[in-house]
Amino acid sequence: MLRQVVMSKYPTLATKTTTWRGWGTLCLMLVALALPAAARTRPHYGGTLRVEVEGDAWRKSGGLAWRLVFDGLTRMDADGVARAALAARWASENSDHRWQFWLRPGVHFSDGSVLTSSEVVTSLGAVCGTSCPWTAIHAVGSSVVFTGDSPMPNLPALLAGDEYLIALTESLSGTPPGAAAPPLPLGTGPFELMEFKNGVAILAANDSTWQGRPFVDKIEIVGHKSIREQWLDLSVGRADLVEIPAEQLRQAREQHLTVAVSPPVELLALAVADGGVLANPNLRAAIALAVDRGALSNVIFQKQGEITGSLLPSALTGYSFLFSADRDLNKARELRGGLTPPPLTLSTEGGAAMQLAAQRIALNLREAGFNVQVADPGRPQHTDLVLLRLTLASNQPRAGLESLLRAVGVATPVQGNDPAGLYKVEREFLDTHTLIPLLYLPRAWAASGRVRDLRLSPDGEPLLDDVSLEDAP
Amino acid sequence: MKLVWLIPVVFGGLTGLMAQTTNTASGPWEQPAAALAEQIAGILGPGQARLTIRNLSTVPSGEISAIRRLLAQDLKAHGVLASGAESANSIRVTLSENLRERLWVAEVIEGNETRVAMVRVGPGAQQQAQAAGGITLRKQAVLTTGEAVLAALETAGDLVAVEPEEIVIYGHTAEGWRERKRVAIGQSRPLARDPRGVIFLATGGEGFEVYLAGMSCSGSYLSAQPTGDWSMRCRESDDPWPIAQASTPQAPAPANPAESSVSLKGFYNAARDYFTGVVTPSVDVDVPPFYSAAVIPRPASAVALLIGGIDGKVQLTEGGALKPVSGTRDWGSDFAVLNSGCGTGAQVLVSGSGEAASDSLRAFELPAQEAIPASAPLAMDGTVTALWTAPDGKSVFAVVRGAADQYEVDRVTTSCNE
Repeated sequence: MLRQVVMSKYPTLATKTTTWRGWGTLCLMLVALALPAAARTRPHYGGTLRVEVEGDAWRKSGGLAWRLVFDGLTRMDADGVARAALAARWASENSDHRWQFWLRPGVHFSDGSVLTSSEVVTSLGAVCGTSCPWTAIHAVGSSVVFTGDSPMPNLPALLAGDEYLIALTESLSGTPPGAAAPPLPLGTGPFELMEFKNGVAILAANDSTWQGRPFVDKIEIVGHKSIREQWLDLSVGRADLVEIPAEQLRQAREQHLTVAVSPPVELLALAVADGGVLANPNLRAAIALAVDRGALSNVIFQKQGEITGSLLPSALTGYSFLFSADRDLNKARELRGGLTPPPLTLSTEGGAAMQLAAQRIALNLREAGFNVQVADPGRPQHTDLVLLRLTLASNQPRAGLESLLRAVGVATPVQGNDPAGLYKVEREFLDTHTLIPLLYLPRAWAASGRVRDLRLSPDGEPLLDDVSLEDAP
Repeated sequence: MKLVWLIPVVFGGLTGLMAQTTNTASGPWEQPAAALAEQIAGILGPGQARLTIRNLSTVPSGEISAIRRLLAQDLKAHGVLASGAESANSIRVTLSENLRERLWVAEVIEGNETRVAMVRVGPGAQQQAQAAGGITLRKQAVLTTGEAVLAALETAGDLVAVEPEEIVIYGHTAEGWRERKRVAIGQSRPLARDPRGVIFLATGGEGFEVYLAGMSCSGSYLSAQPTGDWSMRCRESDDPWPIAQASTPQAPAPANPAESSVSLKGFYNAARDYFTGVVTPSVDVDVPPFYSAAVIPRPASAVALLIGGIDGKVQLTEGGALKPVSGTRDWGSDFAVLNSGCGTGAQVLVSGSGEAASDSLRAFELPAQEAIPASAPLAMDGTVTALWTAPDGKSVFAVVRGAADQYEVDRVTTSCNE
């Protein structure tokens, strides 16, 4: 089979892999050569893109469909810089305590209703309530004003996050009286949700979107598909885009799948409770020293990860080496100080690799004198240790660090872009040993030969609104 | 196996490395070394310390001794003597870097306490590979902007840039083009994902005409006003777009040489971003839907129409027939004619077929029905999204979208290697 992967000029990324297998392939190739040579063209409009994912197809955070239906006031560009989206411009005052975002004129929801500043205020108020990064929000003419008791230097970047996408709140308010089902949520994005049934989300191109009509007519996202099923469907032409977990990236390459791989954007980290027996900081420090990151990387994640002791990856800061990622069992035992802590529980969510990683960490900790049990997946219970995957939302160090800290419940605004200042914030937080960074992992996707112009966002999600299909009319 | 694209990359990298290696003078390192030494001295105070340096960056290893020497000198000036292994205090300097810049980090270790100092060091100078071949292509950045540019034109001393929703006038200053005026086009229809537009000099001089999906605009320069200003008007329009400008040396109108001063126009499918194939005045053959078309001079019949079809086929309308052009497999959808005066006099400049992260432009000659490369590919710093011939016909403008969604308008010129 000939697999030629082209991720071409519209918009940018290019990857090419050519592989030959068997004589049948050669015959196919010869047939192809006999056809008239045609140059590569601009993308064509039309066709249906079929995507399969392990999670929920209509998942809010990090969900493909969610991002295609809704827009934020801002968006992240490929460099991780906040750019205009539903807000055309913005300005801060009073040392970043007050921000004003002016809305792009003429934007409509997919039902034709106009996007207004009061609708934005209602939508944002509904998503984060009292845990918002701002203290108050209100509409002023065609603009939205955020005020905060603390400075909000990274607000434009934060507003690009999934949790702050703008939905028509009427469409989220449940089943209206007399209706059989709740209305489908409405956004301003390039696609419109047409149906979500049996775990399958059907999206149709929004012809009137302010960003320009996307190339494909329809996207079908099938959720809750195992990786094995996804790869099988890709191989028989039932899917066009499927997931590749980092630990299976090498296998995907060996199978000559066409892959798009992000930089390391998923931080595998161990969250450590700071209450109960683990209120003792020496015990938390001992846990940090006991984990064998090398084994996790080499054995479970097949050397696809980047070992880290810091929150931000080395490529963003250049100072990551200052945070030791080495295992030191003797020091860990020394810090434990002969104490035999009561049994600890370690939990994780995710697939087989995360369960294996949790088992491995439990083993590491037992070697340092801790008694650790791995909790059964899916059974909620109190846990002392949680193995997490955190996504780095921006490749700008300051915004990336703030988003990671917010994800673990630390709402401290990170100020300044100076590496020394960022290092200080990281050092102060990591010295509490309530979160132990372990590995940075890439995100990867495999695409069929129909897919062209596939690019990934800074956090590794495929940008499907720019994708087109080779066989579109 | 197409590894040709590697050549400029490798060449560029090597030349960059050579440039840095040969630059053994400590010039670029003096300032960061002084800044780091000052911070270290602020932590350590006067005394002795063991100094070690490790390099985790792309600083060439030949530079390390110079950097060490500078650091030792600067530390000494602050009363810190870089001594041998017997010293109780130590200074561990790491030359590191991230995606954007270099970073020098000093770990100052006094007993059990380690304190950190760091200074940012600018990125190294980047080298650009130059194309070589029968014709040499050169590019010069005219304008860089964060907004998408569909087309641009220099006229009346100003630069007029067409963006998807606005027309922007840039005035010339000592620092380059500066925005002077911005006028909304005012489309009522939604934009397409891959919007396109063209701009031409208005008949008779100081003015322009713009064509976009479903709209046309005109601008005239009001030279009577003391400072000069532009008047612009836009209206909804499905009029055909000019495919070649009447005032360029490549005279259009392939159908009838007698009408060689008349522009050829094509109807545009605003929803799908291509020309429908209906052209006016009509030519003797059925033209398929196309993305790009250019009128090229031909030895046999005064001119011919070169068409880049939406099916990827490149064809010529010549002598009342539509003929395939071979040798165009690596062509992208954008091309423009350039009257360089080199070789046969005119070449077609073509964007790459998009199989590389960075696009390229290459000149081809069409002596018959085969495209013959006339230059080496000229690497562009991103994706070529639009390409058109300048009004004088002697240069070509390209819009390049960079990785960070920055748009650059480049002027591409040629020189003959004869």
